Amino acid sequence: MATSPATPKIAKSSLLTTLFSRPLPLYLSAFLLRLILLLYGLWQDANSPLKYTDIDYLVFTDAARFVSRGESPYARETYRYTPILAWLLLPTTCTAGAQWGPLAAKVINAAWFSFGKVLFAAADLVAGWLIERVLVMGTDFPGPTTSFSQGNGTATKKHEEEVNDEGKGMAPSRARAFAAIWLLNPMVATISTRGSSEGLLGVLVMALLWAVLSRRITLAGLLLGFSVHFKIYPFIYAPAIVWWMDAERFSGVRETGQKTTSFLKKISSFLTLPRLQLALTSLLTFFGLNMLMYALYGHPFLQETYLHHVTRIDHRHNFSPYNTQLYLSSASITPLSTTPAGSQLKIESLAFLPQLLLSTVLIPFVLAKKDLPTSLLAQTFAFVTFNKVCTSQYFLWYMVFLPLYLPRSSFLKNMKLGVAALGLWVLGQGLWLQQGFELEFLGRSTFLPGLWMASLGFFVVNCWILGVIVGDGGGEGRLRGDERMFGNVLYITMVM
Amino acid sequence: MRERITFIQKQGDSIEPTTLNIKGGVLNGPEIQAAREDRLTIAIDELPTDLQALLGTAHELHIRYVSFQPYEAITPLLARLPPGFHLFYTPATEVEATSPALCLALNKVFGNVQCENAQESFTTLPRDRFTHSAAYQYYQQAVDFSPFIHHVKDQLCSSKDQLCAARADRLAEASTLDISYDAISHAVKVTATWPYQRQEVHATSRPQTRTEVGVLNSDRPGHLEPHELGISGLLTVLGQDKKPSATMFAFASRHRDAESSFSVEFLEPTGLHPTLKLNLESSKPPTEDAYCSPHAYFTLPKTIFADRHQLSDDLFLASKNLTGLRYISQPVDLEAPEYVEKRWGSSLLLELSPPESEKSQSWTAQVPLHLRYLSPSEGGYTDIEVPYPAVFWACAAEEGTKFPNNPFEKVNLGYDGLFGPRTVFWHVDPQPGVSNSLTNTIKVPVLDTDKAEWVSGGTGLAVLLGFAWIVWKLFGVLSKSGYQNQSARAAEVAKVKKKQ
Repeated sequence: MATSPATPKIAKSSLLTTLFSRPLPLYLSAFLLRLILLLYGLWQDANSPLKYTDIDYLVFTDAARFVSRGESPYARETYRYTPILAWLLLPTTCTAGAQWGPLAAKVINAAWFSFGKVLFAAADLVAGWLIERVLVMGTDFPGPTTSFSQGNGTATKKHEEEVNDEGKGMAPSRARAFAAIWLLNPMVATISTRGSSEGLLGVLVMALLWAVLSRRITLAGLLLGFSVHFKIYPFIYAPAIVWWMDAERFSGVRETGQKTTSFLKKISSFLTLPRLQLALTSLLTFFGLNMLMYALYGHPFLQETYLHHVTRIDHRHNFSPYNTQLYLSSASITPLSTTPAGSQLKIESLAFLPQLLLSTVLIPFVLAKKDLPTSLLAQTFAFVTFNKVCTSQYFLWYMVFLPLYLPRSSFLKNMKLGVAALGLWVLGQGLWLQQGFELEFLGRSTFLPGLWMASLGFFVVNCWILGVIVGDGGGEGRLRGDERMFGNVLYITMVM
Repeated sequence: MRERITFIQKQGDSIEPTTLNIKGGVLNGPEIQAAREDRLTIAIDELPTDLQALLGTAHELHIRYVSFQPYEAITPLLARLPPGFHLFYTPATEVEATSPALCLALNKVFGNVQCENAQESFTTLPRDRFTHSAAYQYYQQAVDFSPFIHHVKDQLCSSKDQLCAARADRLAEASTLDISYDAISHAVKVTATWPYQRQEVHATSRPQTRTEVGVLNSDRPGHLEPHELGISGLLTVLGQDKKPSATMFAFASRHRDAESSFSVEFLEPTGLHPTLKLNLESSKPPTEDAYCSPHAYFTLPKTIFADRHQLSDDLFLASKNLTGLRYISQPVDLEAPEYVEKRWGSSLLLELSPPESEKSQSWTAQVPLHLRYLSPSEGGYTDIEVPYPAVFWACAAEEGTKFPNNPFEKVNLGYDGLFGPRTVFWHVDPQPGVSNSLTNTIKVPVLDTDKAEWVSGGTGLAVLLGFAWIVWKLFGVLSKSGYQNQSARAAEVAKVKKKQ
């Protein structure tokens, strides 16, 4: 496996080679893709009663308007985000002055109103650039054989010499080809230009990974604390990062040099300075921001951004395997007393167990030291798959890691497996969406068995994909025979 | 106690005074085509003590029931509300808003009123706009009237009075019933109306009750102003007058008849986001003298709601022939299922946008609505009823026009407080659909409990298997190469070899 067997076929095409050989063509096309979508969205919004703009964007901008009037963003119902998002979108509340004509004023107002979409799209591009940096830097740093002192983040030069060495740095053109999976992904570009804030999470999480890999501990702590404040779920990355930050990576001292048997010694050797530094900075950032927001906006801030997730029922149909069960059990609570009708243990009250065990304990423990990006991908994938609520914008959370994982994945080494996985993933959603359409728009009661079976089917597909990712993260470079066969079988069934 | 019984005929119909036979406390007359309104005014100290105590906690309380059976509007009984049980309430003190006393009493007087207390079950009305609004609103489609009728018989009729009992029973056929109390007048007014139909003119006075009987018809006296209604006819005070006295009067009325009709249907398929379609007969304003625009006032039960954010885009509104959402009660939870929502539902006022053309034409407006999730049920479907709205043209009366209280006036209708004091409401007649009831039925898909047997076990098993598969894969990695990274492991292996 010294040379890469997984050179993507696309790189062979001459047009695509030009696209990736220099940065400009890729980023320019990613920019143009978003610009066209943004302008198209403005046109559709102005001319059609069906809107391109996401409902959530109206929530953000309404909240920003409340803030601009000195009120709380939580005055807008269903605003369930940090006030920072509303602050960031304050420019969307700007309007053209009186000196402009009515037409010019309309254009200026539309431009100001689109500020948030521009911000989210720009965040996409930065996330893409960070993906390229991480790939070029080497997704996993070698052990003590190459000596990197702490805080030295510009290791790229050295790595360009050892391009294509698995797990090490990658040639920039090849890195860009993989970054394009994110940058030129129509789903990503559409979501951000429709005004969904998930793109901001993409850039935060990728910046976090980049900061960690380049040993910028304080920056990593700030980013971790900030992203958890922003959207909670990135807390699952903390154990992986901490586990990965072992002494050998940070000072060249091998942990296993002398076998420590005493429990206390093990603890003290685990509590390294960089780990404490990360913990301290991230906790300070997280609690500092929360205290600031609480001081500014009081209980509504806590209720809407955090406590809401504890009390929400999630009864509306979504991709989660728990969905039907949640609808069923939420209705068996008597409406006027809110005490459970039956006292038997409900499976959904244990739903957090497999989800958190996988995403915060088991996967990071096994994978983080071997392959941090793949561990983060697998953790996010597990978190989303086992979550009590799951909608398609959650898929963006793990998609940002795909360019880092795919170069070493079975899915690219065995194209049949890759096509089967992608096909099943799309098919699983398609079946669910078909049942959802019949329910939502035709009024057919498809909750059982249709939607339930479809969500379980999609869950099974996701678990299978996650299993393959876990195997790849463990360095199962070569495909085992059974897996190849499984892939072929899936491929054949799909073609049929 | 005072009683007023009014028979109201249409313009041009009237009876001769000689056809009325008044003897003692009894008035008899011919059979005529008329609507009937009975109004009983009871001073608060004439009420049973428990009711006195209850009303003592209210500043004002108006209960308005409108039948789902369509009825023809007869001048001057023109004010309309959506069909169902409406309640408008201002507590004497804010503490009362959290007390369950009112809801408990309502439940006793009318069966199955599903409220807990004002704060949780009612919606608040905007009091900053015009002061004549009550503080809280409650609405429910169907209530059981039999306890109320039973109460009336018990409290107001003596046990031998068959006539009184029969009158109480007729309350079940009333097209509207109003019970109104306010702390200033210290009296409860109970007003019931029956639809325009053939009936005998008959009234009997009751002991300790001043009974006034009117046989009236709408009229057009020469001096009638455009904003006024004219009435003429015969008035008799039972036990006092020997013969009826003729009367004719005019008064300003905020409620008029637009003399056109509308009907309501839902676009098929309804799905989870049904679109309500208003079919309006006429696009022509009812009067040339004032600026008028058509409105629809909805009281939607909690099973169905409108999203005010969706109704804020001009292009979207225009595509549905709507001008704008003028009012929606707050808050409307956009996510909660029906079975956890405690508030009765929501009221909304929409301004409609008629086609612009010189001559009158029929037209439609569409109102996008959303269904809440309902409790799972056998068979997978639950029917819900959506009451008709009240549809009217709101016209601005001339500057300086005064609308003093008139004998048939109704205020606190939910929508009147949302308009300025000089607004005149020209009501459009609701025409029922196939069911001959002012309501539409929607079949709502719900989780089918007949098929739910395997959900809990199946979900648990799937999650367990998925979890086990991934743990198995993780275990495979762990047993093959541990948790250390490869280079570290390789170095370690090399070190061990070196030592050897």
